[in-house]
This record gives sequence, structure tokens and C-alpha cells, in this order.
Amino acid sequence: MYAERTDELDYTGAPAPVRQDLVEAQRFLLNHLRSPGTWWTGAERVAIAWESRRATSCGLCRERKASLSPAMGRHEGVPPLPATIVDAVHRIRTDPARLSKSWFDGVIAEGLDVGRYVELVGVTTLTAGLDAFARAFGIAPFAIPPPRPGEPSRHRPESAKPEGAWVPMIAPEGAVGPEADLYGGGFVPNIMRALSLVPDEVRALRLSSSAHYVPVEQIPDPTVRRALTRPQMEFVAARVSALNECFY
Amino acid sequence: MSGKAVELGAVTGQVAGDGGIEHGARLIAFTDAVLGSDDGRLAREREALRAVITPEAFVDTCALIGAFNVVDRVADATGIPLDAMLYEGSQDVRDELGLARFRSAANTPGAS
Repeated sequence: MYAERTDELDYTGAPAPVRQDLVEAQRFLLNHLRSPGTWWTGAERVAIAWESRRATSCGLCRERKASLSPAMGRHEGVPPLPATIVDAVHRIRTDPARLSKSWFDGVIAEGLDVGRYVELVGVTTLTAGLDAFARAFGIAPFAIPPPRPGEPSRHRPESAKPEGAWVPMIAPEGAVGPEADLYGGGFVPNIMRALSLVPDEVRALRLSSSAHYVPVEQIPDPTVRRALTRPQMEFVAARVSALNECFY
Repeated sequence: MSGKAVELGAVTGQVAGDGGIEHGARLIAFTDAVLGSDDGRLAREREALRAVITPEAFVDTCALIGAFNVVDRVADATGIPLDAMLYEGSQDVRDELGLARFRSAANTPGAS
């Protein structure tokens, strides 16, 4: 089930060489996924990552996405996570366009702490990104490494407050003390603040975005590009977001 | 961004062709295949794209698709509004793409 090693990524069959910063970022992200987090243990985070991956072959998720209104039922498999957590992971992974404030309120009302929810979002989505890269690239999904032992830090930043999103966030001026490194300088888009109730998920998202797209602080600069031209990059990004029906 | 006219309809699939972007049609077809479920189609579109762009650009395309599959889900799962600065400057683009029809537009006051 789990990979035995975590310091090597398997690019067998890769149709092109992968730049080193991307390899290092993906290695970091896999180790991040398996490490004790802020509210979940390493084993729980690995279970969430597996559930994120497994959601893509879930019959209920397929049925639900194809229906006009959300279908009820049980997700396939026998996961080690509670059913409400599994359902949240599956919805975020397979049908994010239909998430709503009322759905979120229901998840929290069922007893899931909002900090645990934010961390779950981080793990679920980072797994989705790694899997999307592998599928696009034509290689097998990266092996999810075994969990690291240890306890969650349970660090809740005092400066996280309601700011118009469903979840509390840290404003740029509130990123002080242990969170001083969180945003870097310049414009801080809401997408980089979204997970700030769990600062380590912001750090992982920043690293992921820097390697897979461009560094956050360079996003507003239209001259920043990679081997694709910047218009090509934005074209692909916009198409992904259109297919995902994401307004943001 | 480049000073070139970009056909936004190509992003939503309303307009066929490159949309004013070099290899735009191939990039769109590949992206669609990655997010779809037909593995045969994905293999064909991957080869078709690789035939017209460099290996480095192909890696970047795959990485971008990965990045925005993260970002879109984070945005939708946390209910963040579109940043005011971006909102104010994107009305025309949002209208042309019809983005207000997406459920997550409700997270940005006045957008839906």
C-alpha cells in the first residue's frame, strides 16, 4: 500500500525530463502529506490522501457528479476514516464546483473542527494536484509514503479571523510571530490566505504553486514565464478552472 | 498580457481553434483529456501535444494542470471571495466567459 522509500520519485516511463525544482517540490509534498500535521496525525493525513485518490474511482461520486442534485449513499471501500470525513474528502476531490456554504456549515455542525477541515482541504487538494500531474505526464500516481510518527502540533494562529471566506484567515498584517514568513512581500491573493488557519498548509501550497506554476510574488508580473509562454500558461490555467467550474 | 488578442471563447469551448495562442487548440485538447476519463484519448492528445512543443514546455503544461487542480479546489472548499483588485479589473472577462453561472461565484459578493 505504501512506498518503502520517500527520497525517490518514480518517473518510470516519463516522456520528458523533469526539472529539478519540480522533483524536489513533489518530494517535499509527499513527505508533507505523510507527516504529522497541525490537527491530524501522519497516519490520518495519509488516510486522507488515499481517500482523495480513491475518490476518483468511487461509484457514488460518479453518480453524484452526473446528477442534478447531490445523490445520497455510501462511498465505496472500507476506509479507516469516519464517514463524514470520507464524504468531505470525496466531494472536494470529485465535485468541488458544487460545494456551498450550507454544505460547509453542515460539515462543521456535525462536529468537525474548522482547523481540521482546513487541514483536510490541504491534504485532499495537494494529492489531487500530484495525481493530476502524474496523469497528464503519463506516469503512475506517485506512491503515497508511509506515515511518520508523532503528534499534531495543535497550533492555532491567534490572528486568524473571519474575513469573508467560510473559514477564518490571517490578514497580511496579521502574519507576525510564528507566521511572519507566511506570505512574503507584496500582493497576497486570497488563495494564499485560504488555508492560513493551518499555516503549514499555506507553506506547502506556496511551494507547490511556485514549482508547478510560478512563485506567488511573481504572478502579477506578465513577463514571468517558463518554457511555455505566459499567455500559454494562463490559457491552460483558465481552461482547467473552466472545466472545474471554478469562479475564483 | 502579450498584447495579442486572445479569443476567450476558446477557454470555455465556445470557439474552436487556437484562440490566438500558439498551439492553443492542442493545449486545450490535452487539458480536456487530462481532466476527462478516456485514457486512450489522453494518450493520443499527449502525443499530439508533444509533437508541437518542447519537452520542457510539456512538463510545464503538466505541472500547470496539477497546480490549478489544487488551487481551484482550495478556493471552492474554503469559500474565498475573488480579491477586490482582481474583481474590479476582470468584469469584462468574467462576463465574456460567463463565470457568474458557476456556483462558487456566490462566494464573491455581487458576482452571481
